[in-house]
Amino acid sequence: MNDGLVGRPVMRVDGRAKVTGAARYPADDPVPGALHGFLVTSTVARGEVVGIDKSAALAHPGVVAVYTHADLPRLTVPTFPYIKGFIPLQGTAVHHAGQPVAIVLATTVEQAGEGANLVRIDYRAEPPTASIDDAPQPPHLPKPFRNRPNEIARGDAAAALAAAEVRLEARYSSPPRHHNPIEPHATTAQWDGDSVTVHETAQGVNLTRSVLSTAFGLPPDRIRVLAPFLGGGFGSKGPVWPHTILTVAAARLARRPVRLVLTRAQMFTLTGHRAEFRQHLRIGATRQGKLTALVETTTAQLSRTEESIFNESDSTSTLYDCPNVHIRQEGVPLDLASSSYMRSPETTAHFGLETALDELAWQVGVDPVELRRRNHTAVNQETGSPIRGKRLLDCYRIAAEAFGWSRRAPRPGATKDGDEYVGWGMATEAHTFAAAPATPPVTASVTIGADGRAVVRIATQDIGTGTYTVIGQIAADALGVPLDAVTAVIGDSALPYAGVSAGSATIASITGPVDRAARAARDAVVALAVADPRSPLVGVPAAEVVTAHGHLFHARDRERRDSYRAVVGRHGRPVETTGTLLNAPGHSWGAVFLEVRVHARLGSVRVTRVVTAHDLGRVMNRRTARGQVLGGVTWGIGHALMEHTAYDRSTARVVNPNLSTYLVPVCADTPAVESHFVDHQDPDSTALGARGFGETPITGVPAAIGNAVYHATGRRVRDLPITRDKLL
Amino acid sequence: MPEPSRPARAHTRRTVLKSTAVTAAGTAFLPAVARAEPTALSRGTIAPGESAEITLSVNGRDRVVAVEPRVTLLDALRERLGLTGTKKGCDRGECGACTVLVDGERVKSCLTLAVMRQGSDITTVEGLADGDRLHPVQEAFIRHDAFQCGACTSGQVMSAVACIREGHAGTEAEIREWMSGNLCRCACYQNIVAAVADAAREVRR
Repeated sequence: MNDGLVGRPVMRVDGRAKVTGAARYPADDPVPGALHGFLVTSTVARGEVVGIDKSAALAHPGVVAVYTHADLPRLTVPTFPYIKGFIPLQGTAVHHAGQPVAIVLATTVEQAGEGANLVRIDYRAEPPTASIDDAPQPPHLPKPFRNRPNEIARGDAAAALAAAEVRLEARYSSPPRHHNPIEPHATTAQWDGDSVTVHETAQGVNLTRSVLSTAFGLPPDRIRVLAPFLGGGFGSKGPVWPHTILTVAAARLARRPVRLVLTRAQMFTLTGHRAEFRQHLRIGATRQGKLTALVETTTAQLSRTEESIFNESDSTSTLYDCPNVHIRQEGVPLDLASSSYMRSPETTAHFGLETALDELAWQVGVDPVELRRRNHTAVNQETGSPIRGKRLLDCYRIAAEAFGWSRRAPRPGATKDGDEYVGWGMATEAHTFAAAPATPPVTASVTIGADGRAVVRIATQDIGTGTYTVIGQIAADALGVPLDAVTAVIGDSALPYAGVSAGSATIASITGPVDRAARAARDAVVALAVADPRSPLVGVPAAEVVTAHGHLFHARDRERRDSYRAVVGRHGRPVETTGTLLNAPGHSWGAVFLEVRVHARLGSVRVTRVVTAHDLGRVMNRRTARGQVLGGVTWGIGHALMEHTAYDRSTARVVNPNLSTYLVPVCADTPAVESHFVDHQDPDSTALGARGFGETPITGVPAAIGNAVYHATGRRVRDLPITRDKLL
Repeated sequence: MPEPSRPARAHTRRTVLKSTAVTAAGTAFLPAVARAEPTALSRGTIAPGESAEITLSVNGRDRVVAVEPRVTLLDALRERLGLTGTKKGCDRGECGACTVLVDGERVKSCLTLAVMRQGSDITTVEGLADGDRLHPVQEAFIRHDAFQCGACTSGQVMSAVACIREGHAGTEAEIREWMSGNLCRCACYQNIVAAVADAAREVRR
């Protein structure tokens, strides 16, 4: 029977390992004899390497090798999930500042770093372009990326806009931002003949394997990628980046294992970022606030080598009922590193949409929550098919009541408390979660040993979201064993196949396979018991056997019982089963209500109270789900109020590549968050009723903050971040 | 840009020993030098690439380690002593992931050199528990789900131990201020504050 662990706020099973330092991350595993690698990166953004002098570096004690484009073999440039468009050290061209131009290997990490300082590179440099404002050519519409078009048109948006009773036009923008997980990206490569083991900070061990397979022309089974723990990724460790390929190549040349850890500064040019972004939005509506037209053109930074758009307009296209939509996602190539996915890629465009709806609400004199209710849809706007199990309206109601929204002051600038203006704002949250590819299918295996314990194997990852714990809950429930009788083994490409932990896809894609494999194992053990003359359950129909607490019972006579340990022990060898199940992409939704306080003379903004309600289908683990809400709200605060990567416009170099000038929220910046969940079974889920969720809770926060700042001060800030210079 | 190797050469015995002169009192450092052949450190100059053998007291055990003077305490712990529970997040004192206790005070181990910490009592996250019994801060972090990915957790835990000992865990607002030197990108701050407050109550009992 079901112990009911799924849905309970179970404590993390890896908690003890993490608070004692016992959890081994990819840069922690000891690899005997490993050299330390260090990248030499370009100081110019555009041009060519014309000279390299390795002599001083090679003379430095401990330096073993310095490799450049002249040394590395020619490699094949992989496509997605390698999204850079080129591999460094394959030629002399320089496409962005911070591009690797050499790799130094040395006995110690200090020697490698100093050796890298001593490599002299001469460049022929050309003036770069670092900002959308400076681009010499107009934006263009890039080709579809992974079959997603960059232009979406439904109905007749131009005509509907011209005929609309109410029109609103605004421009929104946000700067580049960087993920900055606390754990730097790290690769350790160890060749054994023609096979290589790679300890990698990977959100997808199989993605890293496929990229290395292409780059080196190796069959995938010669490559093993290990990431048992990951110190945060937020999208930056989903795609595979050059340092991984270069480390593997260097280890092969040196015939020694090599470990390379990026510096914090290198993470600002080598592991992707959220692109600089502009959004021109025109809205047509009725006088009651019902949307009739949405016309949007966005502009994102592209690189010279890669044209993918990662600041998607999913929310504009799908969140509200609107028959006439025209979206163009344009881009401008600049002399910067390629952008990439960053936690909740829709956040940039979502900020404009949710701010515009607030502006529309004030314009037509309708409460912002009521305006959103009037535009709610239960129909997929792109396909026309009904959305089953959407509980967004419940989210508005629950969060508004908990927040006390009905007591909101009716006009901006009306509430002052001491030196601070107080304002309230809200926004809808929405996120598109990804599905795992159908081939190969995501597969889990479950092995029950003679000790009665179960081991679940699947090549997924725990990036901090709680995968280890939730796998344990799912398998323990399906088997009818205690949580501590289940061990999850993940983060190894040699395990049964799973996809990337990105796009909020992990739980949605692995729950079904783990549940199926565990149920199959349970059925196999029951079959053994009822056929075993030594079992008290011999002869009982399998359908009448229930399992709980590690035991097997006759459903109507619980005195007749056996145990997993006894049955498998008598069987004499482990019972192993597998399970697969596909899943589909979908959406999770929510509502965020919050309070800000804006200092009247200093212009500083504090977020002082946050209430959220989310519809994520079934809540697998309330503790870990709440963790995603806390993280998302805080990321939204960073996005709205501080995070900003600055490029020098003459050199196209990042001027704040560190954590003292690229500000992320600290403990003192974050308020208490009251989180609510509409916990229900999504009828279309293949994950025990759950949906992908993790990235949902950032999406509305920046707009809710901006809307609250407007309510506090009467100032509408459309260019993020909302820094005090924009309020004074 | 190429850097001359001047900084490494500039380490003299005097600068290396300066910070340990008061506290070392011969307990760990002097015997190590006295019994050995003249080392680079005792000769007074250390050429680039040369190492000095020093003794660090880590988690109650004396550990002998050969390091160049430029080696940070963090890299000595992680790369030489295999104590990888202490994490490197930024290597410039900004994130707090490398926080350890040195003579009971919280120190960012990336901002101090190993040779400066001879004779000090160093506690890392691996040395906090009493055998199988976790420290109250560790227990509270698990209970309050005060971490996700775990990359900052060692530093948060060590910082929290010191924060409580310093008497800076009296109120939630005080904890928020005094724990703001440790970044958590997963942003478990609310749970960290709750865990520190809870552990502080337990420690005071």
